[in-house]
Amino acid sequence: MMSKLKAIPLHTKILLGLVLGLVYGMLTIQLGWSADFTVDYIKPIGTIFVRSLKMIAVPLILASLIVGVANIGDISKLSRMGGKTLGIFLITTIIATSLGLFLVNTIKPGKKLPIETRENLMALYNTTAESKVTVAESIKNSTPLQPLIDMVPENIVQSATDNSSMLQVVFFAIIVGIALLQIPKKKGETVIAFFDGLNDVIIKIVDYIMIIAPYGVFALIASLIVEIAGDSPEKAWELLKALLWYSMTVLTGLFLMMGVVYPILLKLFSKIKYKDFFKGMRPALLLGFSTSSSSATLPVTMERVEKLGVSEEVTSFVLPLGATINMNGTSLYQGVAAIFIAQALDLNLSIAQQIMIVLTATLAAVGSAGVPGAGMVMLVIVLESVGIPTAGIALIVAPDRILDMVRTMVNLTGDAAVAVVVASTEGELDPKLTRENILTQS
Amino acid sequence: MKKLPLHSQILAGMALGIAWGLIASHFGWVEFTIDWIKPFGIIFVNLLKLVAVPLVLVTIVLGVASLSDIGKLTRIGSRTLFWFFTITVLSATIGLLFAATFQPGKLLSAEKRDEIKTKYAADAGSRMGAAEVVKESGPLQIVQDIVPENIFFASQNNRNMLQVIFFAVLFGLGVVLSPKEKVVGVLRFFEGVNEVILKIVGLIMKYAPVGIFALIGALIVDMAGDSPADAIAILKVLGIFAVVFIGALLALMFVLYPILIRSFTNFKYFEFLRALMPAQLVAFSTSSSAATLPVTLECTEKKLKVSHEVAGFVLPLGITINMHGTAVHQAVSALFIAQAFGHDLSVMQYGIVILTSALASMGAPGVPGSGIIMLLMVLGAIGVEPEGIALILAVDRPLDMLRTIPNIVGDALVAGIVEKREMEH
Repeated sequence: MMSKLKAIPLHTKILLGLVLGLVYGMLTIQLGWSADFTVDYIKPIGTIFVRSLKMIAVPLILASLIVGVANIGDISKLSRMGGKTLGIFLITTIIATSLGLFLVNTIKPGKKLPIETRENLMALYNTTAESKVTVAESIKNSTPLQPLIDMVPENIVQSATDNSSMLQVVFFAIIVGIALLQIPKKKGETVIAFFDGLNDVIIKIVDYIMIIAPYGVFALIASLIVEIAGDSPEKAWELLKALLWYSMTVLTGLFLMMGVVYPILLKLFSKIKYKDFFKGMRPALLLGFSTSSSSATLPVTMERVEKLGVSEEVTSFVLPLGATINMNGTSLYQGVAAIFIAQALDLNLSIAQQIMIVLTATLAAVGSAGVPGAGMVMLVIVLESVGIPTAGIALIVAPDRILDMVRTMVNLTGDAAVAVVVASTEGELDPKLTRENILTQS
Repeated sequence: MKKLPLHSQILAGMALGIAWGLIASHFGWVEFTIDWIKPFGIIFVNLLKLVAVPLVLVTIVLGVASLSDIGKLTRIGSRTLFWFFTITVLSATIGLLFAATFQPGKLLSAEKRDEIKTKYAADAGSRMGAAEVVKESGPLQIVQDIVPENIFFASQNNRNMLQVIFFAVLFGLGVVLSPKEKVVGVLRFFEGVNEVILKIVGLIMKYAPVGIFALIGALIVDMAGDSPADAIAILKVLGIFAVVFIGALLALMFVLYPILIRSFTNFKYFEFLRALMPAQLVAFSTSSSAATLPVTLECTEKKLKVSHEVAGFVLPLGITINMHGTAVHQAVSALFIAQAFGHDLSVMQYGIVILTSALASMGAPGVPGSGIIMLLMVLGAIGVEPEGIALILAVDRPLDMLRTIPNIVGDALVAGIVEKREMEH
C-alpha cells in the first residue's frame, strides 16, 4: 500500500488533495456535519502548510537571488550578448506581468463573488476597515517617490524579520550579488559557495514542504468552503465559480503570451516561422507541462533550440540564464493571483501598489530557479509586499497546480523565443538548419 | 566628473545643494523639493545605515580573529578606552571653559527665555519623557545593556551597535581559540563578506554626491520653509550660544587635536584632516556617525594606513562611546541653560558638568538627536530646570551636523594613537 502511494507523482497527489478537499467541503455543507471539526482539526494542517511556505520565503529569496546574480558572471565576457539578453528578458517579463494585470483588472474575477461572501472572507482574514484606513493614510502622507525609498532597507536584519518588506530583501540580495560579481573571484568564492550550498538546502526544504502540499491543499480548500459557505451550498458553488473565472483569466493571459506576444516577437526580430518554432519546441513543452520545472526541462529545451538552428554559444548562455531569471508565465500568474485575492477581499489597490506588484513579481520570478512549488512561495512574497493578507492564499492554492503546469510551458517558450531573437540579431541563427530539422522531424 | 576626487565631488554636491535650497525656498518650490529631491537623500542615508551593522560585525570579527595573541586584544582595548575617556573629558572641559568665560546664557533676557521656552515646550516635553526612562535605570544599566539577549534582535536596530560589537568580539575570540583547520571556512566566509561589503560601500559612495546634494538641498528648504524672518529672529537670540559652541568646536579641532596628533601619532595634522575629508563631509550631511562609519573606515585604512585590526576595532566602538563634539555640546548647553535660568555654579558643579557631559556623550548612541536626551541627565546632575532644553532645540539640527564632524575625526585620531603604540610594541 505504502509503496503504491509513493509511486503516485506529487502533482497528481496535490490534484487529488484538491478534489478530495472540494468533495469533503461540499459534503460537510450538504450533510450538515459540524463545521467546528473542520475548523479545529483540519484547518490547522492548511495553516501549517501556508506558514511553512512563509517560513522559507526570506531565505529562499536571499540565497537564490544572491547566487542567481553572482552567477551571471560570464556577462562581462559576453557583454553585448549579455546586455541584449537581459534587456529582452526584462521587456518580456514586463509585458507578461502588465498583460496579467490588464486582464485581471478587466475581467475582475474576484468580483464574481457576491458582496456578502467577500465580506465574509474579509472578516475571516481580519482585514478590518481600520487597517485599510491607515494604509490609505500612510500613502497620502508620503511623497510620490515613497515606493523607491521603501525599497532600500535601513537594516537588513530588520527587513528580514518582516515578510512584508520582501522587496528590501530583494534589493539587498541584488546588491550583494552585484558586489560579488565585481570583487576578485578568489575572494568571493567562499561566499558564493556558501550561498550556493544554502540555496540547495533551501530547495530541499521546499521539497519537504511540498510533501505535505497535498494535505495542505486538502485542508485549505475544505476549510475555505466550510467557513465561507456556512450552510448554504450555493455560496460554495459561487466560490468555485470565482475560482474558475480566476483560472480562466490566468489561462487567457498565458494563451495570449503563447499565441500573440511570442509570435510578434519572432516575426519582428527573426526569420523563423512561428509554426516551425512551435513544432520544434513541442517535446520540450510537453516535458515542461508534466514536470512543471523549467530546470528539469533545460537539457531538452537546449537540444530543441539548437535544432532550430541557434548556435550552441547562444543556447548555452541564454537558456540556463533564462531558466533562472526569465519566467514570463510565472510573473503573469503572480500579478493575476495577487489582484484576484485583493478583489476577493475587497481591497482596492492603487496604481502604485499594482506597480509594486509588477516589480516584486518580476524580481521574485528571478529567484525561483525553476523549483516546482517555489512559485507558491514567491506568491506569498508578492502578497505580503503589498499588504494583502497571506491567508488569502488559500483561495488560489487550489488551482495552483494545474496553472503551474501551463505556466511552465510559457516560461520555456519565453526562454526559447528570446534565444532565437538573440541569435538572429547576432547572426548566430542558421535558418537552413531550421527547415531541415523540422522537416526531418515531421 | 569621473576625474574629480571623491571629496571634490561631494563638495560640489553640497554647493549645488545649498544653491538649490536657496533658489527653491526663494521661489517657493518647497513641495517639489520634498517630493522629488529629498527622497534621494533619505535613500543615501538608508544605504549607509544598511551597511553599518554587517560592516561592524565583519570588521570586528576579522579584526579579533586576526590577532596573534589574546593579550593584544586586551592591550588595544584598554588603550582605546583610556584615550576615548581622556579625550572626551578634555573635550567637555574645553566646552565648559568656553561657556564659563563667555557666559552666553547671561546675555539672554528673561522675557526672551520664557518666550522660547513656551514655544518649544511640547517638543521639550516629549524628550523629557524619553529621558525619564534613562533616569530610572541603575548605574550599571549601561554595562548591562552591552550584553545582547538575542543577537538577531540586537542587529535589528543600529542603536544597539554596542551589543553587536560585544557579540562580534566574542565570536572573533571563539574563532581565534578554535583549531585553525576547523574554522578556516568561517574565516574565509567572513573575509569574502568583508570584500563584498567594502565593494557595496564603494558603490554607495559613487552615489554620495547626488545623495548629499539632496540632503543639503532638502535641509535648507526645510529650515527656511517655516519663514526666514523667524529663523533670523531665533538666530539673533541663540546666535551667541551657537557662536560659543562653534568656538569651542574649533578649539577642539584646531588646538587639542593638533597637539595630540603631534605628540602621539605619526601623522601631519593637515594631511590627517585631508585624508578624512570625505568622511567629514558625509558626517556633516548625515549628522550620524554610525552612517558615516563605512566612509571613516575606508579613509582611515586606505589613506591613513591604519591597520585593519586597529581601525576595525577602534572605529566601530568609537561611534557610540567616543563623541567629542557631543561632549563639547553637552557642556556648553548645560552651562548656557544654567546661566539663562540665573544659576551660579560652584567649582564642584563645574566638575560635575565635565564628568556627566563626558559620561552622557559616551552613553549616547550614534543616532541623530540622541545628544539632547542625554543632556537632560547632565542638567539633572547640577539641579537645573530640565525644561531648559527647550532653549537650544531651535538650533540643534545645524549644530548636530557640526558636532558630528569632531565625533568621527576623534575616532580616527584615537585609531591613529593606538596604532602607533601597537607598532612600537
